[in-house]
Amino acid sequence: MMIEKRNPVKTVLIYVLLIVLTVVTLLPLVWMLSASFKLSTEVFTFPIKWIPETFHWENYVTIWQKINLATYTFNSFKLSIIITLIQLATSSFAAYGFSKCKFPGRNALFLAYIATIAIPWQVYMLPQYIMMQKMHLIDTHLAIILLQSFTAFGVFLLRQFYISIPDELLEAARIDGLSEYGTFARIVLPLTKPAMATLIIMSFVTVWNDYMGPMIYFNSDRNKTIQLGIQMFTGIYSTEYGLIMATSVLAIIPVLVVFLAFQRFFVEGIASSGLKG
Amino acid sequence: MKKALTVLLIALIAMTSVFANGASESSEDGVTTLTLAFWDVSQNNYINEVIAAFEAANPDIKIELQDTPSTEYITKLNTQLNGGSDVDMFFVKEADKTKTFYDRGQLTDLTPYIEASGIDMADYNGTDANFIFDGKVYGMPVRTDQYVLFYNKDIFDAAGVPYPDNDMTWTEFEDLALQLTSGEGANKIYGAHFHSWNACVQNWGVQDGKHTIMSGEYSFFKPYYEMVLRMQEAGSCMDYGTIQGSGIGYTDVFARGQVAMLPMGSWLIQTMIQKNATGESTVNWGVAVIPHAEDVPNGYTVGATTPICINNASKNKDAAWRFVSFLAGPEGAQILAECGQVPALSGEEYLEAYAAADGMPDDILDGLYATHISPDRPAMDKVTEIDQMLLAEHQLILLGEETVDEGIANMNRNYAEIMAN
Amino acid sequence: MAEKTIAEKKASSLKRKNALIGYSFIAPNFIGFAIFILFPVLFTLVLSVMDWDGFNAMTFAGLANFKSIFRDRVFKSSFWLTLLYVVCTVVLTLLASLGLACALNKKIKGRDAFRAAIFFPYVASMIAIGAVWKQLFEANNGPINHLLRSIGISNPPGWFASTDWAIYGVIIVAIWKFMGYYMLIYLAGLQDIPAQLYEAATLDGATGWQRFMKITLPMLTPSTFFVFIMLTINSFKSFDLIYALTQGGPGTSTTLLSNYIYNQTFVYWDYGKSAAASIILFIIVLAVTIVQFRGEKKFTDYL
Repeated sequence: MMIEKRNPVKTVLIYVLLIVLTVVTLLPLVWMLSASFKLSTEVFTFPIKWIPETFHWENYVTIWQKINLATYTFNSFKLSIIITLIQLATSSFAAYGFSKCKFPGRNALFLAYIATIAIPWQVYMLPQYIMMQKMHLIDTHLAIILLQSFTAFGVFLLRQFYISIPDELLEAARIDGLSEYGTFARIVLPLTKPAMATLIIMSFVTVWNDYMGPMIYFNSDRNKTIQLGIQMFTGIYSTEYGLIMATSVLAIIPVLVVFLAFQRFFVEGIASSGLKG
Repeated sequence: MKKALTVLLIALIAMTSVFANGASESSEDGVTTLTLAFWDVSQNNYINEVIAAFEAANPDIKIELQDTPSTEYITKLNTQLNGGSDVDMFFVKEADKTKTFYDRGQLTDLTPYIEASGIDMADYNGTDANFIFDGKVYGMPVRTDQYVLFYNKDIFDAAGVPYPDNDMTWTEFEDLALQLTSGEGANKIYGAHFHSWNACVQNWGVQDGKHTIMSGEYSFFKPYYEMVLRMQEAGSCMDYGTIQGSGIGYTDVFARGQVAMLPMGSWLIQTMIQKNATGESTVNWGVAVIPHAEDVPNGYTVGATTPICINNASKNKDAAWRFVSFLAGPEGAQILAECGQVPALSGEEYLEAYAAADGMPDDILDGLYATHISPDRPAMDKVTEIDQMLLAEHQLILLGEETVDEGIANMNRNYAEIMAN
Repeated sequence: MAEKTIAEKKASSLKRKNALIGYSFIAPNFIGFAIFILFPVLFTLVLSVMDWDGFNAMTFAGLANFKSIFRDRVFKSSFWLTLLYVVCTVVLTLLASLGLACALNKKIKGRDAFRAAIFFPYVASMIAIGAVWKQLFEANNGPINHLLRSIGISNPPGWFASTDWAIYGVIIVAIWKFMGYYMLIYLAGLQDIPAQLYEAATLDGATGWQRFMKITLPMLTPSTFFVFIMLTINSFKSFDLIYALTQGGPGTSTTLLSNYIYNQTFVYWDYGKSAAASIILFIIVLAVTIVQFRGEKKFTDYL
């Protein structure tokens, strides 16, 4: 195997570029963190104080007292995990069907999937709501689970990764006597771990950050999610920006944990070792 | 295959409906549970107090609050009503929407209940006008809000200027604002503050009771846009670009003591009381009557009344009426007043209770003096579209992207287009 | 019809069996998808030619909704603004995410931290982000204009307080927010490229740039297809971001098609017009998708 020598100037340049970019990217989030220690009247002052004059640690206590943050967090976890699991299971099946099986109407069906992504959610929200009302599912978690578990996104994403698996590989497995389901489970699934990790991260983030869905469907306090909790600090007469920022900072942590846990699947394995330049 | 699909589909639907039957409300042990849609409960404590008092007096009824953030309240309510929800009662946050709900047949006619209960609607002082359709009452007025002038006493004292009296013209206001402006940079104190809403300029044109935002010919806004532009130029009020571009809240600048005078709705009174009570603000503030034009009598202002309605799809209309009449009646009015809200029901005793609420400025009742309150948004078709259009032009005028005359010409043209479309 | 031979019968029964297997793979997802998404979406198609208050019976309106939106000044301006927004956002985000993915696929120190940092903006709640960026972009005292002035630009843009600049402010925030998201897809795609390809190319003396153009880019075609379609669709639908930043203002200078649709649905409650506007959106996206689909087919044939 051939190993190229790294050009030190190039390496330094890449680092500098990355660091600058990261700092710029993180700046708004630093502001968020700093604002989370301020009183809401101090948040919008100019010039911006990056380090608060006095740290109002109590913001992080107040948010637990003012709203049922523990319940909301639990609900957010529950919904995010359940929906992600259903999406992962059903989407990977369907993606295999759409990329590796041949059946009449395959392309038309797939186009129907993509087409639904193009329609803004607000437009078909009312028919969905009427349906849920008829099923007596308003103000239940099941409503959101049913509505968000079968989106076209997951199918589309995984199909794109399954496509690049060479057909000869599957043919070989079939000749070895594996059924279509066996081929899927033994060959395709292990090969597409990075794709699965992507879907897990994205699905989790989407559900975790969804605001309008829970807002429309959940009425009782016991069903609400963390994003609804954040919104509770914005009022018609005044907005508690300090508390919003504190809750937002807390809400980021679980998603970051999920991200860090699953991004490990994007390791530079054998596949990309030649990429070093 | 098709058969299998159909079977699966039926099974799924059957499963979900079985799953859901747990969520039914209604009478257990003779107690009726009513749902009430409301917004920002944590900032409107009065509703909890009213419910507590009502439940104590009516042990056979339980009220369940459905809390929605104010920004999405109307969206959600609209979805619920269209979706066939049987939420029993709701407030109409933007009162002009009452007409839309009425047009769709989503409101209960309250007239028979009002007659049976012997309520005299004259006690509501005309605040019910926006909720009467075809001679029938579809909403009970609960609270009223009106535009007043908030002022920071400390800034007036420091400048050695007497507090605004309760009869001031907009010209006097403009001069006063200039006198009170001082400082530079982070320590700058502005004489006046106009929040980013179009209402905060256009209301001064509507105030005369002759024009509304649906007038269609908008040259009556002109003097007020010219005034605000002059004041921006002179630095006696904050630049619109700063307010709108960075999302500065009027409560924050006033509670921080950055502005001397703030024309704003009376709902801010309760917020300021809270801010002062928690120590978040130390501003010593007062309330005066909103300024008026030379040819408009003193006491003419703009405001809105918030009604409570009963859903036509409610299964418990009689029980709901008991709560609605309690809330809009003397008991509710008393509690509202004590919590720092002006009840729609008129009566000396409520105003006294209101003035005596904790943290209320002493001369509050003089500041709330009003002889005529024009609705901020008349209940008419397309009022929301017109309002949005007026907001867009409002922004362009105040940012200097178009002149006042261009802006008004655009308003007139856009009005005609929207109404014709 | 002619009698089928046994072999033909066998072949057709195999085909049927294969088709059944195919259906069985998509069924679990498709059933949920059909009921909860496809059906409501199809309902929208009907709605676009109806007059409906959302509650009572609807009446047939023909093309009245379409005529009405084409007469609407705001719709027309939002249409062209949307094209500008979509072109800028799609091209720049695509390049940024591809570049970042390639850079962060290398073995460098602190790689996980870099990746997390770049992905961060996607995670933060919209309401917080809106407040932050509004303050950063503030025209007179905001840090961005401070910086611009200090490097000699005496008259920096007004950003969200200017009808000319607001849309570019929104585009910058959109790129910032979404580049990490699409970087993730590219990162996953990069793991699929066989190392032998690079080794062979290196032996042939290909430079880094040549390897990128000849191997990485073609092999990433499925990822690019996905990123391009999703970026296009999401840019066309981009709503939350603008709502949090400018609410479509100043004036209507950042009112995009999606804001227009939102307003028609949630503010004016005109379901027919919002459905008609989304059909137009839908047609554009469909056209883009089909063109891309063709390109992808060429790629899979080449595989």
